Amino acid sequence: MNQEELNNKLEEIRDKLTAIEQPVDNRIYLSCEAGNSYAVNKFLFEDVPLRFVIATGVDSDDCFEVLYHYAYDQIGCMVTLKAFIRDRENPAIESIAPFLPAAEWIEREIHDVLGIDFRNHPDMRRLILSDDWPEGVYPLRKDAKMPAERPDGESSSRPMVQSQSPARRTVKLSKPVLPVGPFHPLQEEMEFFQLSVDGEIVTDIDMRISYNHRGIEKISESLQFDQVPFLVSRICGICSASHPLAYVNAVEEIAGITPPDRAQYVRTIIAELERIHSHILWVGLAGHFIGYDTVFMWAWKYREPVLDLLEEITGNRNNYGNVKVGGCREDIPDELKPKIAKELDEIEKKMEMLTKAVLDDPILHARLKGVGVLSKEDAIRYAVTGPTARGSGVAIDVRRDDPYAAYGDLDWNVIGQLEGDVFAKAVVRLLETFESIKMVKEALDKLPKGPVAVEVKEIPPGEGCGHAEAPRGETFHYVRSDGGNRPVRHKVRAPSYVNVPSFRASCIGQHIADVTITLAAVDPCYSCTERLAVVDSHGNVAHDYDALLKLSREKTERIRKEML
Amino acid sequence: MWSLKKSPWVFHVNTGACNNCDIEIVNCLTPKFDVERFGIKLVGSPRHADALLVTGVVTAQAAPRLREVYRQTSKPCVVFATGACACDKGIFATGYHVVGPVDKIIREIDPTAIIVYVPGCPPKPEAIISGVVQALSVL
Repeated sequence: MNQEELNNKLEEIRDKLTAIEQPVDNRIYLSCEAGNSYAVNKFLFEDVPLRFVIATGVDSDDCFEVLYHYAYDQIGCMVTLKAFIRDRENPAIESIAPFLPAAEWIEREIHDVLGIDFRNHPDMRRLILSDDWPEGVYPLRKDAKMPAERPDGESSSRPMVQSQSPARRTVKLSKPVLPVGPFHPLQEEMEFFQLSVDGEIVTDIDMRISYNHRGIEKISESLQFDQVPFLVSRICGICSASHPLAYVNAVEEIAGITPPDRAQYVRTIIAELERIHSHILWVGLAGHFIGYDTVFMWAWKYREPVLDLLEEITGNRNNYGNVKVGGCREDIPDELKPKIAKELDEIEKKMEMLTKAVLDDPILHARLKGVGVLSKEDAIRYAVTGPTARGSGVAIDVRRDDPYAAYGDLDWNVIGQLEGDVFAKAVVRLLETFESIKMVKEALDKLPKGPVAVEVKEIPPGEGCGHAEAPRGETFHYVRSDGGNRPVRHKVRAPSYVNVPSFRASCIGQHIADVTITLAAVDPCYSCTERLAVVDSHGNVAHDYDALLKLSREKTERIRKEML
Repeated sequence: MWSLKKSPWVFHVNTGACNNCDIEIVNCLTPKFDVERFGIKLVGSPRHADALLVTGVVTAQAAPRLREVYRQTSKPCVVFATGACACDKGIFATGYHVVGPVDKIIREIDPTAIIVYVPGCPPKPEAIISGVVQALSVL
């Protein structure tokens, strides 16, 4: 389906819409009243069909808006449906989560931060704000009065099982419940998991986030357009090239700026170097989880030269701060090019050895194949992205579908696997590392001459959607400007936000020993510190992290013995 | 105090960090820097820890958990506020869900706590190691 056919398709629901706008190529904005949003969303998701990206709640002057962002990956088109809620006193809209599980979290989040009620939502518990956040204070409303002193001072020593208040707990305690976290190895968002188990088998999984909620979207509204990249690069330390890239894509779309070619290449090189060290990091941690600490140590040793290269280019090992609206802050000096190429050759050799060691190992085949399978249907329903989607046969990649930076000029392949298990995701990441090395080399060869930035004076009123392919999947930023020097709304969706809820599809039915590696397989930016505990229903620690890790490793060992 | 100076065992607490400090901490343990040579070891329980490596701004949801973790450590326990966020909330200082920094939360329950500050965004592994060495030499 090309752009024209997509437009024709959208005409089918014209009677439910109040407006269709297309300010730039590949960006379509539909408007409707809140009452029609359910029907239009169902049409967009099921009949067109589009991939759900995220929803954004906006506090406009006289109404609330809920923006549903969709992507049509075949042509890289973003379709945004704006639903207007006119009733400011009791804002409410029909929930789309019943047919679109990927929207469950974001509707809960919008309810938390804007107080919009989602009717018929299956599970309207608090998601993003802390347990002790006062009811009725909605931080993203423009007139929100934040509690001056946070009332979090209670000093009781609560056992971890009560981290969610009993009223919010869905799982009945008649079956054993294993809480995992909040201090645990999947530490990017410090999630808290509650696994219901039947013997060794996981029967349900529930998640609580908020531990890492820093209120970045609100802080961003208080920063100038040029300061925001420094903030968004600190959303996630290991996606610190992708978030600013997605943000500047959005702002450059509003302002109609095209950065110089050299800047596009520099952006690409930094983003791909980041992908290389991020994927190597994942391989190491995955090895750690199943008891291959040698792989862990090797992998982390091999990513060090990449960090050194990034430090030479940008001045910092992480949080590069190199992307700005209109270009880049620092250029890659030409005399550094041979050194980068030489280091990449070295890394490639080592990665070939490591990849062979990992992919040819019969024990790893036995241990990881068929574990934590995310089927293609579930991958679409949960709208997962990145290697998690590509491992499940959903071949989407923003770099190819909606090229930004210099990806359109480079010769590379999207790596896909069909199985959807942990092994498939490992294969995707390992092979992508080689594609990234190839891309950096090609970009260095082709690096055009010229400046790395254009001067940007003003950001006009408007709105823009920017996305970029982070190592974990699509990073999406929506920015709205009113012509001032700060964004009036800045929505961020990190890839883990859609990848993590897919645990419900991939973990249920698994053995407890497989849970750590299944959770790890989507790479929710975890680090390998030992902070995971399994507690029985009385709040006693039944398995701590070491015990779980031991379970996982014993299984590997058992398979090894059986194969000998 | 002398017991802290040889091979301190550390427990790592993320209280709302961007993961960078945490990855740099793990970098300290892996072959390039390898502080395990000196007996510095990450442990799985705060009850085994001589020191807490705390990263992040301390969000509203994490604050009670940080207090609880500190309470569970055996005293004396050195708290390393690692990174700009842990030292003074860094770029997230104005966030509505941020109640830190780390020293404020820890001092609420133990005014005499030993707190070491390792600034940087993120601090390089060399900086973290240097912070640990300096702290141990003055204890």
